[in-house]
Amino acid sequence: MDQQEAPVSMELAYQVEQFYFREARLMNQRKQRQWLETMVHEDVHYWLPITEVRMARDKRPAPTPEDGAIYNDNYGDLDDRIKRLETGLVWMEDPPSKIRHLISNVEVYEADQPDQLCVYSNFHIYRNRRQRDETNLIGGREDVLLREQDGFKILKRKINLDMRVVLDKNLYFFF
Amino acid sequence: MVNLDKLIDHDKAVQSKAIFWDQEVYDQEMDNIFGRSWLFLTHESQIPEPGDFFTTFMGEDPVIVARQQDGSVKAFINSCTHRGNQVCHADSGNTRSFVCNYHGWAFGLDGRLAGVPLEAEVYFNNLDKESVALRQVAQVDDYRGFIFGCFDSEAPPLAEWLGEMAWYMDSWANSGGGAELIGTPMKTILKCNWKVPTENFIGDGYHITWTHIAALQVIGGPLGEAFGPGGGSIPFEDMGAQITTRHGHGFGVIWDASALIHRDPQNYVEFQQQTLPEVIEKQGEWAGKMYMGHWNASIFPNCSFLYGTNTFKVWHPRGPHEIEVWTWSLVQKNMSPELKRQVQKEAIMSFGTAGTLESDDGENMETCTRTNRGNQTRKGTMNSSMGVGVEGPHPELPGVVGSSFIGETSYRGFYRFWDEMMRASDWSAVRSNDETWIERWLGADAVSQVPSSKVA
Repeated sequence: MDQQEAPVSMELAYQVEQFYFREARLMNQRKQRQWLETMVHEDVHYWLPITEVRMARDKRPAPTPEDGAIYNDNYGDLDDRIKRLETGLVWMEDPPSKIRHLISNVEVYEADQPDQLCVYSNFHIYRNRRQRDETNLIGGREDVLLREQDGFKILKRKINLDMRVVLDKNLYFFF
Repeated sequence: MVNLDKLIDHDKAVQSKAIFWDQEVYDQEMDNIFGRSWLFLTHESQIPEPGDFFTTFMGEDPVIVARQQDGSVKAFINSCTHRGNQVCHADSGNTRSFVCNYHGWAFGLDGRLAGVPLEAEVYFNNLDKESVALRQVAQVDDYRGFIFGCFDSEAPPLAEWLGEMAWYMDSWANSGGGAELIGTPMKTILKCNWKVPTENFIGDGYHITWTHIAALQVIGGPLGEAFGPGGGSIPFEDMGAQITTRHGHGFGVIWDASALIHRDPQNYVEFQQQTLPEVIEKQGEWAGKMYMGHWNASIFPNCSFLYGTNTFKVWHPRGPHEIEVWTWSLVQKNMSPELKRQVQKEAIMSFGTAGTLESDDGENMETCTRTNRGNQTRKGTMNSSMGVGVEGPHPELPGVVGSSFIGETSYRGFYRFWDEMMRASDWSAVRSNDETWIERWLGADAVSQVPSSKVA
């Protein structure tokens, strides 16, 4: 992110936080379609890179969207994932699992483009399935939000998952 | 010692559920199977330059694989020979030495001890450094760039270990510039026994249309249509085949369906069609048919891949009830960079950490393991009898060929060899069965039902 790290107004920061809390609630309520259609821009890049464990002296570049990534999605890819869930034929989601997103450390900055915001946030995602199957995933997000007439839209989301070996069997939900 | 007589019943095609749960079975697997088999380490494309290294596991043993100054590859156990500390903590990189964090012993790229702090003062120059080199993996070799290691110096050479499987793999590993793995592996965990995903990849054509029905409906394509809401339109007799080989490697192939899980298959299929004449020229029509097929495959004991869906996996055991899943993308070197990226994206979309098909399998594999916690449950057996009696040697194809893609020939072949390795006292005992394994397993009259006329 290249932005002047000057604080935005309390009102704007509040609006962004409310946007994230609504997003988290839609995920918890399994309303992924509503999330996609009301909160995600059609030019979105939704990205969760694979980050190797490397020595501090290792000068190889950090991953780019050209590299393989756990998520490297455009709008159509996200739509395909949601269509799959909507078939009602995803057996591991019947009975449905539970998911809870806790969003914190929201930092809002003006971007170089006047209608865009750069936003950092952290997440703690708790998943609970069947009887005792539970996982906790913690990390951060770097977003570019677009300000539109009717609110914000996610234009870019980079997810930084703070674990090399994902201590879970999959990550097919949204962050 | 484990009583092996009660674990596998080849006549009934069942396995004791205990082999997916019991610690003593697992411990013997570590000795007899992971201690003696060639295990996948990495691909040469992951360590191209001298000094490049990659860290992985052989069974539960941490291993460093390093490209030497002369271009050869060595592998050694990632544990200091002084007090056992791990000497390398990175996934990969480039280095001249591996320095232990504990006391500063420095090992060269070849694993030999190169530097000892205060050597003269505290060891009085009595330390025999040659004797405390990092323990070398006895055999390291590559097959068409796929690097394997084996702890047993008596094991047959890698090409012989792969055996008939190598002929099949050549259709794509020896065409189109050869194959490579791209990117750093994704890593996840599954709380399942290591054999459950291996058997699934080696021969489970049966689950695809039920477990993965949701993703297949979204992807569409030949499978999505065949198994979609209408269903039932698939021509079973001519769908494909199952193959199992001397050392338990095997696969199922669906003819003319390599791109069946690609959402936009055109560029990939065009590349394959351009490469097909090369395959046929080198290996004949049958290899060409293999090349245009979609494979679900495993290399005994714990390495699996989907050719066509371009996914390559290793299931690292972590005790009897857990594995680490490492996932790469598999491409051919002559693909354009754009096609490689497209293929990689599709592979990860389907069988990556957040893959639309990957997530369907994980819970099945965990639950297939966890139910065996039950004492009475564990006294039961797993059934893999599908297609018994319609398999055997084939006049033109190596190994044992089962007549239907949806069958369990390669399951049975996997457990046949698992049983053989668990019982064998050493490699010479295994070798003594090389000429007779099919007859001993299926009887003298077994013959494949796959007709020779099936060549495209």
